[in-house]
Amino acid sequence: MLEPVRSAAASDPLLTVRNLSKSYPVTRSGLLRKKIVGTIDAVKEVSFSVHAGETLSIVGESGCGKTTTARSILNLVAPTSGEIQYQGRDVVKTFATGGREDALALRRQMQYVFQDPYLSLNPRWSVRQILREPLRIHRRGEPATWDDQIEHLLARVGLPASYADRYPHEFSGGQRQRIGIARALAVEPRLLICDEPVSSLDVSVRAQILNLLADLQDDLGLSYLYISHDLGSVRFLSRRVAVMYLGTIVEIGDVDAIFDRPRHHYTAALLSAIPVPDPTRVATAKGVRGEAPSVTERPRGCPFHTRCPAALPVCRDEMPALVPSDPDHKLACHNPR
Amino acid sequence: MRLTIYIVRRLLFAFLLMVGVSLIIFFLVNAVGDPIELMMAETPGVSAETIERMKVHYGLDQDPLTRYFIWLGKLLSLDFGTSIIYNQPVGSLIATWGWQTFKIQVPAILIALAIAIFVGTTAARRQHSRTDFAVMSGALLGQSLPAFFLGILLILIFSYTFDVLPSYGAYSTRGYLWGSVVADGLWHMVLPVAMLAFFNTATLTLLMRSNMVDVLKLDFIAAARASGIPERRVVYRHALRVAVIPVLTYLGLLVGLMLGTAPVTETVFTWPGLGYLYVTAIHQLDYPIIMGASMVIAAMLIAATTLTDIAYVLIDPRIRLE
Repeated sequence: MLEPVRSAAASDPLLTVRNLSKSYPVTRSGLLRKKIVGTIDAVKEVSFSVHAGETLSIVGESGCGKTTTARSILNLVAPTSGEIQYQGRDVVKTFATGGREDALALRRQMQYVFQDPYLSLNPRWSVRQILREPLRIHRRGEPATWDDQIEHLLARVGLPASYADRYPHEFSGGQRQRIGIARALAVEPRLLICDEPVSSLDVSVRAQILNLLADLQDDLGLSYLYISHDLGSVRFLSRRVAVMYLGTIVEIGDVDAIFDRPRHHYTAALLSAIPVPDPTRVATAKGVRGEAPSVTERPRGCPFHTRCPAALPVCRDEMPALVPSDPDHKLACHNPR
Repeated sequence: MRLTIYIVRRLLFAFLLMVGVSLIIFFLVNAVGDPIELMMAETPGVSAETIERMKVHYGLDQDPLTRYFIWLGKLLSLDFGTSIIYNQPVGSLIATWGWQTFKIQVPAILIALAIAIFVGTTAARRQHSRTDFAVMSGALLGQSLPAFFLGILLILIFSYTFDVLPSYGAYSTRGYLWGSVVADGLWHMVLPVAMLAFFNTATLTLLMRSNMVDVLKLDFIAAARASGIPERRVVYRHALRVAVIPVLTYLGLLVGLMLGTAPVTETVFTWPGLGYLYVTAIHQLDYPIIMGASMVIAAMLIAATTLTDIAYVLIDPRIRLE
């Protein structure tokens, strides 16, 4: 049977990550020099892709490697191994050995929105200085036009132009996050990597920021890599989701399919932990047994077998590969639900 | 408005502190004993009448409390009394000798600041590297080395062994270097300034490094890097302004402390500064100088901390005035 031929533009992903790993050496200080006694795999062999105009979410507990994965893409953390491609361009190589102009060109395509807007804005710089910096570095038009561009950026994220000369401490968390988003938009990127952009905000403000992100996607055709542990926002914002556990992706695919019928036992446990805002409903969350093992003592075999209700003997010895289970659904489990 | 009240209150507090300090200084010096009797006890053949006459001359025949108020009253009009040994007004002695102290302390602080900013930042950028380890060790050594030891070492190397720099004094006694007062003065400043700068650098570098390490971990730095801003600019334009604040605060204190560190340096290099004047005055029981110089040192410290506090509120609007 022949697959329908789709146009190259629609099927080629914007961003492709293949077998991305980041490990940190564990050192013990000797008398004269440090000895490397092992490694911690913060991220291990992670692969996924993001298509133009879509949102891929990465979910998982804190410490599962979501942020390290996101930061590796922009070389804020240098990956240990693996391949990252942006529209066919080798991202890792460009940042490591490529010229400054090539690196800047990549950064104009991909920008980052940080988790904590209290830490991600320079406390000594006014909003104008913060927003002018990317315009200057990337030479976005004549310097005379920068003030107009800044005004436009502020309007884009729903802030009045009069805020430009204020300092970060004068704003609320939601307003600060809007400034963070405006800074990311300054270079007109196509892909925004949003690292838990709402998790440090008040619940009442979260919806506003999520709506802003959704509106920006509609208006500007942005793609998002959305990192979160808030499953509600994931379902709202994304079409596809990747579930991470101890540095690996255990399940990836269509959000609705995974949320309605999770195949991996970890995904199922994670979903059962979503609080339902209904006081008459009795909590039924089974959650997960025990604590997530530390990445320093990653279990052999399937990383989840120590807590899995359906672990088989094979799970203890053999790491399951991430393989397609359904169309647009991949799973790493020996004994799926 | 709240700011004005704050400043007025801070200045009032500084004044009260000065009055307290004057009490302590006066009665501590007074507790040592009557200076005339102490001095004359070692001089044979001085009659009791002469001692009595001298006491009247210096006003020492009155009771301590009266003397304190006379001294305080004169202090308010900046009259520190007259030195027993030099027979000159203490105020002008402090001014001339104080200028010599200022001349070596201020360059030492500025040099130290420049070095500390650069070296501390470099170490912070390479945290846990060999460079960092070397900087930390050097700074720790600088902090723990006894001050006089380095001074003597400098003299041994540069004055004794190689004979390229003078070991004492502010000017040559026989002929200036290249026949120029300025060149000769600068030539004499090298060693004392080097020694003071070394100790200031050690402390400031450690402070700069630890602040920079913390700031470089913050997300606004990652944000700057994610924008593609060159690393040098990230460090020196984005991070430095935040990381340098505690260093500048400490610098304020250092300016206040400079008279406190002066005695050791100036004794080692026989430098005619306030510290040297102070130490010799203690040896010679020249109590008007001891009290006057103590008051000036205390005033410098109190002024420095008060100004730092006020400047802090002016610079950083986030500090709330309660």
